[in-house]
Amino acid sequence: MSDQPSPTPDLTNRSLGLGPWSFEKPLLAARGLTKKFPGVIALRDVAFDLRAGEVHALCGENGAGKSTLIKLLSGIHPHGSYEGELLVDGRAVAFQHIRDAEAAGIAVITQEFALVDELSVAENIFLGRAPRRGLRIDWLEMNRRAGELLADFGLAIAPETPVRDLGIGQKQLVEIVRAMDKKTRVLVLDEPTAALTGQEVAVLLDHLRRLRAQGTACIYISHKLDEVFAISDRITVLRDGASITTLAVRDASVPLVIKHMVGRELGDLFPRRSGFTPDSLEPIISVRGLTVAPAKNSPPFLREISFELRGGEVLGFGGLMGAGRSELLLHLFGAWGHRAAGEVTLRGAAFSDPTPRAAITRGLALVTEDRKRYGLVLDQPIGFNLSLSSLPQFTRASVSLDLPAEHVRNQTFFESLRVKAPDQRARVGGLSGGNQQKVVLGKSLMTGPTVVMLDEPTRGIDVGAKLEVYELINRLTAEGKAVILVSSELPELMGMSDRIIMLHEGKIGGEFVRADFSQEKLLAAAMGRRAAGAAKDQGPRTNTQ
Amino acid sequence: MTSRPAPQLLALPLALLAIAVFFAVKEPAFLGPRNLTQLIVEFSIVGTLALGMFMILLTGQIDLSIGSGVGLIGGVAAVLVFQQGWSAPAAMGTAFIVALILWTAMGTLIVRQRIPSFIITLGGLLIFKGLFWLVIQNSTIPVSRGDQENLYSRLTTYYLPSSFGFALVAIVLVALGILTWRSRAARSAHQLANPPAVRAVGQWLVMAAATLGLVYFFNHFRGVPLSLVVLAATAGAVYFLTQHTPFGRYLYAIGGNEEAAVLSGIAVNQVLVGAYVLMGVTVALTGFMTTAYSGASTTTVGDLMELDAIAACVIGGTALKGGRGTVWGVIFGALIITALLNGMTLLAVSPEIKFIARGAVLTLAVWMDVKLGRR
Ligand SMILES: Nc1ncnc2c1ncn2[C@@H]1O[C@H](COP(=O)(O)OP(=O)(O)OP(=O)(O)O)[C@@H](O)[C@H]1O
Ligand SMILES: [Mg+2]
Repeated sequence: MSDQPSPTPDLTNRSLGLGPWSFEKPLLAARGLTKKFPGVIALRDVAFDLRAGEVHALCGENGAGKSTLIKLLSGIHPHGSYEGELLVDGRAVAFQHIRDAEAAGIAVITQEFALVDELSVAENIFLGRAPRRGLRIDWLEMNRRAGELLADFGLAIAPETPVRDLGIGQKQLVEIVRAMDKKTRVLVLDEPTAALTGQEVAVLLDHLRRLRAQGTACIYISHKLDEVFAISDRITVLRDGASITTLAVRDASVPLVIKHMVGRELGDLFPRRSGFTPDSLEPIISVRGLTVAPAKNSPPFLREISFELRGGEVLGFGGLMGAGRSELLLHLFGAWGHRAAGEVTLRGAAFSDPTPRAAITRGLALVTEDRKRYGLVLDQPIGFNLSLSSLPQFTRASVSLDLPAEHVRNQTFFESLRVKAPDQRARVGGLSGGNQQKVVLGKSLMTGPTVVMLDEPTRGIDVGAKLEVYELINRLTAEGKAVILVSSELPELMGMSDRIIMLHEGKIGGEFVRADFSQEKLLAAAMGRRAAGAAKDQGPRTNTQ
Repeated sequence: MTSRPAPQLLALPLALLAIAVFFAVKEPAFLGPRNLTQLIVEFSIVGTLALGMFMILLTGQIDLSIGSGVGLIGGVAAVLVFQQGWSAPAAMGTAFIVALILWTAMGTLIVRQRIPSFIITLGGLLIFKGLFWLVIQNSTIPVSRGDQENLYSRLTTYYLPSSFGFALVAIVLVALGILTWRSRAARSAHQLANPPAVRAVGQWLVMAAATLGLVYFFNHFRGVPLSLVVLAATAGAVYFLTQHTPFGRYLYAIGGNEEAAVLSGIAVNQVLVGAYVLMGVTVALTGFMTTAYSGASTTTVGDLMELDAIAACVIGGTALKGGRGTVWGVIFGALIITALLNGMTLLAVSPEIKFIARGAVLTLAVWMDVKLGRR
C-alpha cells in the first residue's frame, strides 16, 4: 500500500536469528576473480564469500561489476572465461552453464527479464519442469500450483494471465516466485526491487527473511541502501571491479557505504534548486480535461486530467503502480491510447494529434521507464543510440550525415553524462544497467527539448549517478525548461519536485505545492482518500497556480 | 557501424577461395575467360537483387515476391519491345515505373494493415507469377526484334571499350580520393583524430591497384561488363544510403528495436515503405539484366531468385531478425552463391542435385545466422 520503501517499520526490523557464522565454512566463495571484456576489466581480483543463512548485499556504482560477479557465480559467464576460482562447500566448481549452477542450488534473477512474453504466468513459473500426466502437460495441476505460489506471495495475478499483460513490477515478482519455487540454497537477486512498489518490496523482504530462517543464503544487489540495510547481514562493496571491503551491517552506516562506493563523501541527496518564478511565464504545456482510452471504443483509463507547467518548473507525478502515470506521459508523447476528450496545448498552440515524431519536433522529450524495450537498440554502439532521435540535426542538404559533427556531439554527451565505457563505439547491450539509462537520457536531451518527461529516471542507477540526474534536472530548469518527473520513490519525488500531482486510478487524486509535501498527504491522495487535515486546505486541484 | 569480428570477416574470402579452388581443380575451365565473364554477369544479377533485399532484411522484414517480380518486370519490358515495338528505353522506363508502383503498394499494405511482410510478399510471389505468365502469354518473348541490338538486349552483352573502362575507374578513384580527403579535413576541423595519412594513402593505392588491375584483366578479354557497372553503382548507392544517411540509420534501428525506433521519433512506416520502393528499383534492374541474359522472357526467368538473394545476404552476415549487416558482406555473399551455382552448372550437376545443394547452402547460412545471433 505504501508507495515507497524506506520508513515502514517492518523494513528496519531485521531479524537477528543468526548463528555465529564466522565459524562456518562458506557456502560459496570466490577467490581472485578477474573478468575482462574487450576494453574493460569488469572484475579485478575479487574475493567474496557467502555463508549459509545470510543475506549478503553487493553495493557499488553503476559498472562497478556487481552483475558481472553474480554472472560468474551463476554460470552465465562460463568457467574459463575468467580467472580465479569458485568454491561451493569448499570444493572448486567449474560451471559451464546456468544449469550447472542451478544443479548446485544457485538460482539467479538477473537484471534482464527472462520471462517468455507469449506464455502465461503459470507456464513461465514452471517453464521446463511443468507437471505432467503421462506425456501431456497437466494444465490444471500447473495452474493450481502456480495459483498457490502466487497467493503465498501475496500476488493477485491469475495464473493464466499472459506475461505480456503484466507491468514491469509484476514481471519481476513472477520471476522471483519462479526462482523461489526451485530448490535453491543460494538465491541471487540482481536489483529485484528496482521496479517494485513499497508494498511489493515489503512482501519480498518478508519472503527473503523467511527463506533465510530456513537456511537459504541470498546475494542481494540493490542501489536502494535503506533496503540493503533492512535486509542484509553483511555488505560487500565493489568499486571499479575491485572488492573494497566487506562490512557487517551492524558496523556499517549509509554514509560509510556510500563513501566506500564512490571513494568520496557525497553532499545533499536532493539538491533541488528551484529555477521557477510562478507568474512570470506563460505555461509551456497545458492539459485540460484529458480523457484517454487504451483503444478507440474502450472505456477511458485516464480521466479528466488537467494541469499546467511553466518553464523552470519540475512537476512530479506520483501514484501507485498502475495509477496511469506512465500512460499519461506516453499519451502526451503520442505513443499510447486514444484521446476521447480534452486538449493539450504546447506554448499556446494545440497539440491534438500527437505522434512521437511530432512530439519531438514540438520540443517534448520522453525517457521511458522500460529502457530495454522502448529506449535502446541494444546491438548498436552508444553513439548510434545517442544521436538516433537527432539525426536531422546532422544532415547536409537534408540528405547525407555529417558524421564528424555527429561524432563530436555524441562525444559531448558521452562525456558529460559520464557513461562508463571505453568509448562511444561500445555496444549499448554490453553496458551496465545504470549506464544504459544514461544513454537513454542523453538521447532525449540531444533533441533539444523544452519539456522533458522523465519516467522513473533513477531506476537502477547508483547514488552518484542519481545525484547527476538531479543536477541535470536543475540544469534543465535553470535553462528555462520544464520537467515532468514520474517516480515511485516518494523521497525523490518530494525532494525534486516544485509541485506534485498524485494520480489514483487514472484520475488526479490530489495536487500539492512544495510547502504542503508530506508523505501522509501524498499517500492518501495516491489511494484516493484525502488525508485528515489535508482536506480543507489542500483539496485536489485547488492550487493550479 | 556493425562490423563483424575479424575471424568472420576473413571467413568469407576464405570460403570464396575454397570454392574457387574446388571448382578449378574439378574443371579448369571454371577460371577460364569465357566462364569468368559469365560468372561476373551472373554475380551482377544476383548481387544487385541481394542489395535490395539487404535493406529489407535490415529492418527485420522479408520479401519473397522478388523472384516472380524479376520475371514480371523483365517480361513487361520484353513484351513492350517485341510485341508493341516500343524503343528499349521507353519499354524499360515503363516497366521500371510498374515496379515502383507494385512495390510501393506492397510496402504500404504491409505497414498500413500490419500484415506480416512474409504473408503479403508470399501472396505477391504467386500474384506476380500469374501476372507474369499472363503478360508473356506463357510463351517466349525475345528482348529485341529480329537480330537488332538494343539497350535491353545489350545489357548483359555490352562491354565497356578498354579506354572507357580505365576512364570510368579513374574518375571513381579520383572521386574517392577527394571524398576521403574531405572527410579527413572535416574530422580535423572538428578536432577529431584521423588515422595516419600514410594509411589512407596506402588504402587508396591498394584500391587503385586492385580496380585498375581488374579493368586490365577484363580488357584482356572483352572489357568491363556493363552489368558489373550496374552492380557497382547499386552497391555504391546502397552503401551511401545505409552508412551516410538518416534513412540507413533508421533501417538498422527499426531492425534492432522497432518499438524504440518509434519512440525515438522515427517515421517507421515511411522508412519501411521506402525500403520496399528501393527493393522495387533493384527488382527492375535485376529483371532487365536477367531477362537480357537469357535472351528472352520465358516462364522460368527469375525462378527462386528470392532465395538466392536471401542466401547472399545471410551468408554475408546480414541478420534475418534485422539490425545487422554490411554491404561488403552482401557482395561477398553474392559472389559465393554465384560461384556455387555457376560451378555446379559447369560441372553439369543434375538439376535435382542443384536444388538440394542450393537448399543446403541456404539452410547452412541461416543456421549460422542463428548461431551468431545468439551472442
Ligand atoms: N557483456 C559485456 N560486454 C562488454 N562489457 C561488459 C559486458 N558486461 C559488463 N561489461 C562491463 O563491465 C563493467 C561492469 O558491469 P556490470 O554490469 O557488472 O556493472 P554493475 O555493477 O552491475 O552496474 P549497474 O549497477 O549499472 O547494474 C561495465 O563497465 C560494463 O560496461
Ligand atoms: Mg548490474
